[in-house]
Amino acid sequence: MFQNFRQSMTWLHTWFGLVIGFVLIVVFFFGSLSVFDREFDRWALPDTRFDPQPMPSFDQVLLPALQKIEPDEADYAANMPLLHDPAKGPLTPRIELPADEYWAYTTHRDPVLSMGVGFGVPLARDPDGHNHIHGNATIDPRSGAAVRADQLKIGSEWFYPMHYSLNWPWMNLGIFIVGLAALVMLAALVSGVVMHRKVFREFFTFRPKKHTQRSALDLHNLTGVVALPFHFFFAFTGLVIFGAFYFLPVSQFQLKGLHDQHEVVEAAETGLPHQAAGVPAPLASVDAMVAQAKQRWAGRDMAGEVGFLMVHHVGDANSYVSVYRAGSDRVALVGEGIHFKGSTGELLFEDPPRSPVSEVNEFLTGLHLQHFEHWLLRWLYVLGGLLGCMCIATGFVFFVEKRKRQHAKAGVQGSRVVDALAVTTVTGMVIAATGMLVANRLLPADLAGKGDWEKAAFFGVWALAMLHAFVRSAPVAQARLNPAWREQCWTIAALAVAAVLLNGLTTGDHLVKTVFTDTYWAVAGVDLSLLVSAGIAVAVVRLLARREQAQCPTPAQADTNSSDSAAEVAHG
Amino acid sequence: MAELSWLIAATALALSGMAWLALPMEVHWGQVMHRPAAQAPRTRQLLRGLGALALLLSLLACLMADRPSMAALVWIMLMAGSAVAVALTLSWRPRWLRALAIG
Repeated sequence: MFQNFRQSMTWLHTWFGLVIGFVLIVVFFFGSLSVFDREFDRWALPDTRFDPQPMPSFDQVLLPALQKIEPDEADYAANMPLLHDPAKGPLTPRIELPADEYWAYTTHRDPVLSMGVGFGVPLARDPDGHNHIHGNATIDPRSGAAVRADQLKIGSEWFYPMHYSLNWPWMNLGIFIVGLAALVMLAALVSGVVMHRKVFREFFTFRPKKHTQRSALDLHNLTGVVALPFHFFFAFTGLVIFGAFYFLPVSQFQLKGLHDQHEVVEAAETGLPHQAAGVPAPLASVDAMVAQAKQRWAGRDMAGEVGFLMVHHVGDANSYVSVYRAGSDRVALVGEGIHFKGSTGELLFEDPPRSPVSEVNEFLTGLHLQHFEHWLLRWLYVLGGLLGCMCIATGFVFFVEKRKRQHAKAGVQGSRVVDALAVTTVTGMVIAATGMLVANRLLPADLAGKGDWEKAAFFGVWALAMLHAFVRSAPVAQARLNPAWREQCWTIAALAVAAVLLNGLTTGDHLVKTVFTDTYWAVAGVDLSLLVSAGIAVAVVRLLARREQAQCPTPAQADTNSSDSAAEVAHG
Repeated sequence: MAELSWLIAATALALSGMAWLALPMEVHWGQVMHRPAAQAPRTRQLLRGLGALALLLSLLACLMADRPSMAALVWIMLMAGSAVAVALTLSWRPRWLRALAIG
């Protein structure tokens, strides 16, 4: 089929890259935004704009807040009938479910604290299984007051899940699609290097004054090659993180017996009770356990704050408390868990030193999930992610530029459709994200179910952008530019500026305040980034307008253009 | 504060290192110096060496600022960012790099 290896690699890169590119650019873009997910949360929820707090006192603040949490209605409705065995007795009403485990989680970038309760299911079908109905809450750790639950944390509950699951929870299809895309991306990277003849000679090459096809390819190569380690490691570590997930949940099916037995053996080895004893017992002071854990970490030369705290078998004689360290000072995501007996506070078990394999795993996982505190590296990750977006976007542009003249002559619509889809995923996606921020500031704060309206705005705006891209796409079929690119850049600029203005108007946190008088970088950073995006969008508008004007070509010009490109663009 | 200074130094070294690696390349030498590259083989060799040295020193500066695992990530990402910055400077403002063509 192909004359040589390079040609087959080119075919693979072109077609696989095109198809998964539409997924990958979403993953890259929302991944870049997720680097600052907690900051987007602050921007979207003005009540939570205060300084990050350490894990508060469990006995004074967390326990009373945890005791107020009720099982989630949707979770109860969906899962209770599956877990409960009607043959053994009647269904326990939702608010009477007994709490079985407590957890609380915070990071060095979180003013608010997320926490939750796993409620036990009495009379379960499988009494040995993990039968839990969940209830979660977010509180202000200074007072213990709950943050309203129907508000959406746009960063960590929307942009971040968009990154790894496309916010498509049905059958977990989104997660599988992203995983497949990451796998194919590794192949695209390798084939891209193989087909690129001048990796080093053109390492620094970008020729913006050449015609679009050439400069798009330059930019594609540049952004792909210089950030190659980033692209490779993030695709790879993303797969590592979801590895257990992608390899099908075998531990719950074929290997369930082995998995359950392993839990029992592990419990025996660590001394951490696997099952509740069925004997009620009170909970000793968890604050004392936390203090002891901190002492032990300091003894290992790893002094730190608590990041994650969990109480197992709540209210039972077998209850135990696990305290994990916040991983803000290193790349590897290490918990250094220390476990205490719940009723007495005596030390039960310390996580042993890690094996080399798990150290590598924790480094790779930590590298991707970035719990560390390092603002420069965070911004460099954003840069890496945006370079990935540029690489994919210029890939689309190159694909279209290379074919649109032939397609115009042959009267085929292929490049027109690809171009419209590219507009949808490149500028349309940015419009969806900024549009969501604008909606967040326009919708009244006390609107019930505000988060759902914001999600609707996100997809609604994106759908409109797609419609617009297709409606305006006719010129591509005549080998000209789709004006939708320019028009959507205008929209991005307008929405970004509107978001910044609305934030200042509705919350009073305008840039003068957040940068100078009452510095709050989480909000200022989002505002400034929006303004920079608006600036870039306007610059692109001007460039595209110039190109569009120059591009009402005489047929002769069009011909010389295409022969130029044939000579110059050696590959593809 | 010391960490910040080391990180600034690492950034400056990565930027100049990438620029020194780019300058001696035939095309880019012409873009920046408006002279044929063949006229200055020794200068170009020297700059290449300087470039490699600066990138190494940049790694050292990263190691001074953070623990090694973190420093490696910062260094790799700094090099990527610097390469893009140099490439964009070469295409829009090549004259800015003239100051680096010492020797």
